[in-house]
Formats: sequence, structure tokens, C-alpha cells
Amino acid sequence: MIIPLLKGLATTLRMVFTKPITLQYPEEKRPVYPRFRGHPELVVDDDGERRCVACTLCMVVCPSNAIKQITPAEGEYHEKYPVEFVVDLTRCIFCGFCQEACPKAAIKLNNLYELAQYEKQMLIYDIKRLTQQQSRLRDGDWL
Amino acid sequence: MVNLTIDGRAIQSEPGKTLLEVAKEHGIFIPYLCYHPALKPIGSCRICVVEVKPGPPRPLPACATYVAEGQEVVTESPRLRAIRQELMKLVLINHALDCPICDKGGECELQELTHALGVGQVDLEAQPTAPNIDYVSRLIERHPDRCVTCGRCVHICRDHVGAMAINFMHRGYFTELGSGLLPLDCEFCGSCVDICPVGALINKTFKYRARAWEVERAETVCPFCGGGCTYQVHTRDGQVVRVVNEDSVLLCGRGRFGFPVLTAEDRLRTPLIKENGAFREADWEEALDLAARRLKEIIEEKGPGAVYGVGSPRATNEANYLFQKFFRAGLGTNQVDNPARYHYVRALEALAEIFGWPQVEGAEAGPRPREAYASPLTLTEAAKGKGFSFVLGTIEDLPKADLALVVGMDVTPELPPLGWAINEASLKDDFKLIVANPRLTKFDRNAALSLRYAPGSERLLAAGLIKALLTAHPDWTPAIPAQGLEEFKEALKKATVKEMAKKTGVDEALLKEAAELLAQAKAPAIIFGAELLAQDKGGQNALALADLFLLVGQPEAPGSRLYPVAEKANTRGVCEVGVLPDRLPGLQPLTSELAAKIFAPQAPASQPGLTLPEVLDRLEADAEDAPQALYALGGDFLRWLPHRSRTEKVLQKLSFMVVQDAFLTDTAKLADVVLPVAVFVEQEGTFLSSDGRLGVSSRVLSPIGVKPDWQIISELGRRLGFPLKYSGPAAIFQEMAPAMPLWAGAAPRATVPAAGFAAAPAGRFVPFDLDISLPGRRPYVLIVGKSLQHSGSFTTHQPCGTLVVTPGAALELHPEDAAALNLAAGDSAKVISSYGEVTAPVALSADLPPGVVLLAEHFGEPAAHTLTLNSNLVRVSIQKA
Repeated sequence: MIIPLLKGLATTLRMVFTKPITLQYPEEKRPVYPRFRGHPELVVDDDGERRCVACTLCMVVCPSNAIKQITPAEGEYHEKYPVEFVVDLTRCIFCGFCQEACPKAAIKLNNLYELAQYEKQMLIYDIKRLTQQQSRLRDGDWL
Repeated sequence: MVNLTIDGRAIQSEPGKTLLEVAKEHGIFIPYLCYHPALKPIGSCRICVVEVKPGPPRPLPACATYVAEGQEVVTESPRLRAIRQELMKLVLINHALDCPICDKGGECELQELTHALGVGQVDLEAQPTAPNIDYVSRLIERHPDRCVTCGRCVHICRDHVGAMAINFMHRGYFTELGSGLLPLDCEFCGSCVDICPVGALINKTFKYRARAWEVERAETVCPFCGGGCTYQVHTRDGQVVRVVNEDSVLLCGRGRFGFPVLTAEDRLRTPLIKENGAFREADWEEALDLAARRLKEIIEEKGPGAVYGVGSPRATNEANYLFQKFFRAGLGTNQVDNPARYHYVRALEALAEIFGWPQVEGAEAGPRPREAYASPLTLTEAAKGKGFSFVLGTIEDLPKADLALVVGMDVTPELPPLGWAINEASLKDDFKLIVANPRLTKFDRNAALSLRYAPGSERLLAAGLIKALLTAHPDWTPAIPAQGLEEFKEALKKATVKEMAKKTGVDEALLKEAAELLAQAKAPAIIFGAELLAQDKGGQNALALADLFLLVGQPEAPGSRLYPVAEKANTRGVCEVGVLPDRLPGLQPLTSELAAKIFAPQAPASQPGLTLPEVLDRLEADAEDAPQALYALGGDFLRWLPHRSRTEKVLQKLSFMVVQDAFLTDTAKLADVVLPVAVFVEQEGTFLSSDGRLGVSSRVLSPIGVKPDWQIISELGRRLGFPLKYSGPAAIFQEMAPAMPLWAGAAPRATVPAAGFAAAPAGRFVPFDLDISLPGRRPYVLIVGKSLQHSGSFTTHQPCGTLVVTPGAALELHPEDAAALNLAAGDSAKVISSYGEVTAPVALSADLPPGVVLLAEHFGEPAAHTLTLNSNLVRVSIQKA
């Protein structure tokens, strides 16, 4: 009768001195593997400019029609760049086809996985919110 | 027929075709890069090489090898594949791989070929060349780094457009597309852009606006000139992004770059009502009610004849037909006319005098046509026709002529497709061109003879030619059955060739030579345009040229026809559907029973209505029978009718005026109610081109706030108590077409009168005036002419693309004249005639003879017709402003 109880307590005692396997989410976030597919975002170069040239190949390849709109414009040096880029994350299936199709490595799936929202509208990203930002979740060698 | 085998398949082909054409017809794939069906073989890329037996041991280019009896052709072998891949690698050596931003991406022939030939990578290296991208030229951008040096653009520009604006520079690997290290200064037609297999030439108005696969395509007819080109309009998100002619590639500058005018800021979007001299916006109900109420009051007070209608060459056949029905069936009068009265109708009346009004037999109701805009009348085997419609030529047939006499017309500005046809004809060895014009035009370069005559002496020139021909050939018998030749000779007795040569300023020997060429020609064509018809004696000019054609024309030879130019998209249509005071739809007389059926129960009035000039005269004279109200389907009378100040004064005498237009034109500003209309791809309907081709405008965009013309007419009719109820323009077409036997067999892209009619033209020589009417003592002769980049006033509204090239009218004068007046290019000059004065910037042009100046009439400012009286020629003096 007492033996199983002691066994249990011994396990408990042993666990008190080992590293826990759970994380204190949301204070602590689980790191993901390098090939984890989060939601797409627009890559920014060292000079702070987006790489995207609005060729719309990602829009063509997107199987779930999540990339809604890409509006191109002509810059001062005749470069082509997007002035609007809308991705509906409620439709995104995180397949990564856009990343694969992109000839400029300008769209990549990041490693963010916290996409729960109260309002659907919050998940329709415009160009500003799609543009890559520094995030504490990302590994240093993410790119 | 020629028998040959391609890849073991036995194939029969017509002789004279190339292997590539035959293979394409039979669905056999031969890759190519420089070949284009609209061009002659170029043979520069060599990717279409095939093995031909019997033949040389090396492979031959399929695009430039003609079929021969017993040929055995192999299109695919390891050797051929290796050659093609190697050639592709050479092409791709330094090809700028900017497909993601290249507008051609997705419709690029090089992309497709790279896939088809499986060229994965290029293992060759070459010294990179400087890209030399031309961002400076207007409307067109050049990227030599993307060029594959196929030569298509060079060929289309030289052989078809006739501008010769681009060519290759340097040689070998360093070959580069260029225009002599200068920005492009050409016709800006953009045909090179669309024929380019890659993105080396880019349309700036389309640049970065859409990818090739994102656009929706629809076929429609061009709304600008009378050429009637049918092209594809590409739209994205409810906006037209570009227009492309997928068949022949050729389009003119205004056709290709003019469409942004749809989104012009100053377009009318709501009806306007004038109150106390100022316009206020109103809704449709209110504006239509007001128009109907006022018209009703005037009809009750002064009778139905007090309302006068002016149709429009901008509106569709259906709208114009409904418009004349409004007057004929609704009001029971013939008080309608159209602005072509000042040019094209003069030609029609002159032609009718000589060849008679068109009459056809053997058109009967056939099965219900499958297409909405096809005539339900079909031709029986005995179908025949006579009258002037059967001596009018089509642009398609013009290259079959062996001589073309172009009189008083700068062809390309007035009708670009006719210019292309002349260029195509000029490629033939046996074709001769005679250009008669006071100034040097583009086609003088191709001309066997250039006759430079004094402005306004066209009919004297024709008389000189007739006289010279009859003197050299006293027993001349015209090929067209003609009456009255003896009387005609008698009437011309006094006019000697010498005198005509002296009066026109053309060398007598040249005149005789031209007459001899006309006499020798087996298929002569005579082309004349609005510049000569818009003179006060325009009708006489047309008469003179029609007489000349009656003398030398060969009705059996295709292409040997008369080509009077109808200037706007529907100038010919507006006349043929009966917007004339003395003709019913189908150009039938007022007594026609067939046409009368459509006006039932109201019989059409037997009394012809007033013509537009008569109306203006009566209004000016405050005549008792002068109309009180004017209903205009469009058209800026102030801008287009001669003597602007008089037109303005006279129109102000009207007690009520309704104008339907897309813009608040100067004429619309005089109106009491202005109703905004749908234009171009906002409306459905048909246009009849200058050469009688039926073009269908399809509705692609939904008009915002505006209505199509036919709907407005129908609503006004309902309010005035006569229902003009239709489900749409197609229903109107199906009502009018059965009443117009001349249009039997009409279908989209087909010409009227249909080729099935056995034409039996016959004529009667009619003497014409032999005087020059250019009164006054002022030193310069002003020709009010056309600009290459504009068509009507429609293209003068921002953001039309061609405004970049020609933003406004300039007074063109010879450098000697400019020097004498102490004027330099860009200065502003004051042009004074006895009827008004305008100030215009000066442009120098050595094309004009000294003493002759030119001002384009399209623009509101300077308004050329301020200077004119009753003609497009006027004597002016010029000062530095």
C-alpha cells in the first residue's frame, strides 16, 4: 500500500531536480526548426528596401488564392516595386509555393505561428504588415 | 497544287507558300523567332531550320523556303535540335534576365521557345555590353539588352508603317536596335512594340500596369478614325490597360495610345441643366423631363419641323438610326442632318450625280443570322447593284491596284489604315503612286510622280489630267459605261493643259506624264480626303475626281476604285443609316416603300428636310421656317464648322438646344440640357468604316453615370409620346438591317455592299467649276488640316496618350516665311484673317511650300475655324505676337 505511494513520491522528487519539458507559454516560446513554415512575408534587404518586384508569380502559384492583390508601381530609377500587397492569412495553407516561385527571394515563410485572432480582418495583411520585421522568435540565422 | 511530305506526312499546298506557313496550317510545330505572319520572311534567327530533300546538304530556314513539288521535309532530327539549341544559347548569351519586371513576361516568344527547345543553361560566355536603355523617348521605351535582333520592328516600321524610324546599329555581336543615338521621333504608332517577340520595346502607357495573364480580352472596333480597325482591348480591374491588334499588329498612335481618354477628368458624368446662364448638375429623370417638356412646347407652338436634329459620326449606327427614326416616325419630319455635310456628304452627292444613288436587286430575307450584328438579308445568285457604292473601294483591295492617285490628302493623319495599304502596295514592283498635294507628305517618298499644286486648285488639276489624257488619246473610251463624254469634252474645251498647268502651278510635262500613267494603268485607284472636300467647292472637287475616275477606272479590276475618306469612326455609317434630310436608311429615296415600313404607322414626310448649312443660314436670317430647337447627338459645331463666330452667334438664336456628348464642348456650353453619353467600350453597337467595313463595338466597361446614345433617344421618345422600345442595340440593328438592301450580307468585319453583288457601275460625265475661289489679299494661304496624333476633338482631352506627342496645335510654316516674318520655332504668332484671329505657337516645316501655312483643327485653343469663312482654306496675314 505504501510502496506505490513512495514510488510516486520518488518520481516527483527526481523530477523536481531535472529540467522541465514543458514551456511557460506564452512567457516562453518554443523555438521552431529552420524549415518550419509560418506565414509569408516580404523580405527586406540590408538597405531596408523590399526585394519584391511585383512580378505576381507568387499570386499565380498560390493554390489557395491567399495572395489577393499586388499593385505595381514604377520608381524613380524605373524599378518596379509593389505599392500594395495583400495576403489573406485566413486562406493561406502555408505550403511555401510562393517562396519557391519567387525569382527574387523576396517572399519567404517566416517562423511565426501565433496567428489566432478575434477578428478575421486582422488576418488580412497589407504590405506594411507583410513586410519583414525583427521578431524575438526568429533565430539569428533565419535568412 | 504542290505535293510534298513533311515528317513523312503527305501534304498538298498552294504554290508560293513557305514551308513554315504550310507546316503551321497542318499543325506541325517548327520553332521560330523572327518570323511573323504579318511580315515578309526575314530569315535572321535561323531557328526554323529544317532538312529539305532535294536540296543543299545544309538545313534551310523554313520561313524563307518555298514549297516545291516532291519536297521531303524533316522538321525534327538530332542535328536540327543541336543547331536550334546552339542558336538559342547564342541568343540568350547576354539576354537580360529581367522576366519578373519585363512587361512581355508571360507572352514572350523567347520564353516559350526556351521552354520548347529545353535550353536549361547557357554554357557560353561573352563580353557584356552596356544596356543603353532608352527611357527618354515618348510613349515607347527601348531595352536593347533584351533585343534578340530578329528585325521584325525594323521591317514593320519600314515596310508597313513607312516611318523608317528604327534600324540596327553596329554589326555582329554588338548589333543593337537604335534610332541613331537619339530619342525616337517617329509616328508613335507603337506597332514595333506589339510585333517585338521579346520586351525590347515597351509601351509606356501599359508599363507595369498588368501582367499578360491578368488581363481580360475583348474584341472591339476602334472609335477614332474611319479606318475601322478591329482590335482586342485588354482590361484589368474595370480599366482598359492597352489595346492590341492581334491580327496585323498595325494600329496608329491614337488607336493604340488614345484610350485613356475614357478616364478623362473633364468627362461629363451627370446630366447638366442650364439655369440663368449657368449649368447645374441634375439627375437623368429631371434632365430628360425638361428636354421632353421644352421640345413638346416648341412642337405645339411651331410644329414638328421646328425641331432639328444633327446626328453624329461618333455615335453608333444603331444610335443614329434611332435618332432619324425619332424625327421621321416620331415627329414626321425629315429635319435631320449630320456634320459630315461639310465634307463627306459632298463626296457622296458628287458621286451620286455621276454614278447615281445605290440601287440593289436580289437581296431577300434569309435564315435568321447567328450573329447579333449580321443582316438578315442574304444575297441571291442574281444579286446585282449599281450606283456609287459599287465604285467605292475597300482598304483590303487597294494593294491590288497598280496605280493610286492621292489628291489633296495627307493620308496617314486622315486614315492610317489607308496609308498602310499604300505602303503594302508600294512593295509591289508594278505599283505606281502619284501624290498630288500642295505640301510634301510622307508618301511623296514612294511616289512615281509628285504634283505640287496651289492650294484650292484640285479641280483644275483634275481638269488638266483629264484634258491631257484626252489630248493624248483622242479616241479614249472609258471602261465604265459612261454617257455624256462628248458634252463633257465640249465643256472642257476652253481649258487647255497649259492653262491648267499654269493655274495649278504644276509643270505641264508632269501633268502629261501623270495623265499618261493613268491612261496606261490597268487598275487605277483614286484617293481623296476631307482636306479637299472641306473647301467651299469641295463638292466640285469630288465631282472632278469622280469624272476622272469615270474616264480611267477599270471596274473589272479589284482595287481600281474611288476612295473618298470618311474621317471619323462612323462618318460613312451616319450617312448610310439615313441621318440625311433627303435619304432614308440604306441611302434610299424618301419614296422608298421598304424603308417606309420601319416608320409605320407614320409615313415618312415626302418633303426633304433642311440641310445643316441651310439651317444655319435661316437662323442667321431670322427666317420664318428656321428651326427653334436643336437636338444634337454630339459633335462640337463651333470647333468643326467653318466660321466659328458666326456659328456661335447663330446657335445662340435657338430657343432650346439639347446636346448629347461625352465632354462639355464649346457647343455643349451653348445648350440648355447636356446629356452625358457612353463612348468606346462603354457601349455596344456598330460602326461603318470609311471603306464600308462593319465593326462591332463591344461593351466591356460599365459606364458610370452615363447612358448610351440609343437609350437616351429612346427615353426622350417615350416622354414625347412615341415609344422607341428596344432590348438593346442588337434589336435596333435587326430592325434596321432588313430595311436596307444595300447592307444585305452585312456581318461583323465584312464590308458593305457585300462582294456577292454583281456590280454594274455606270456613269454620266458631269462638268464642274473651273475657278479658284480663294478671295482676299492677305499674303498667306492657311490650310486647316489634320494632325497625325489626333482624331476629332476626342483625343485632345487629358490623359490621352498622344497628347504627349502633340499637346496642341502649332502654326506650321516654311522656314523662309518664318525668317521673313522674324519668327522662330516656339515663338507665338498672331494669325489674322478677315473673320477672326488666333494666336498659335510656330513650328517650322520644310514640307510646306513658301506662302502656305498649316494649322490643325482639333484643338479648342487655338481654334482654327475662328479664321475660316466657308472653307478650310483662307487667306491670312501673320504677325509676331
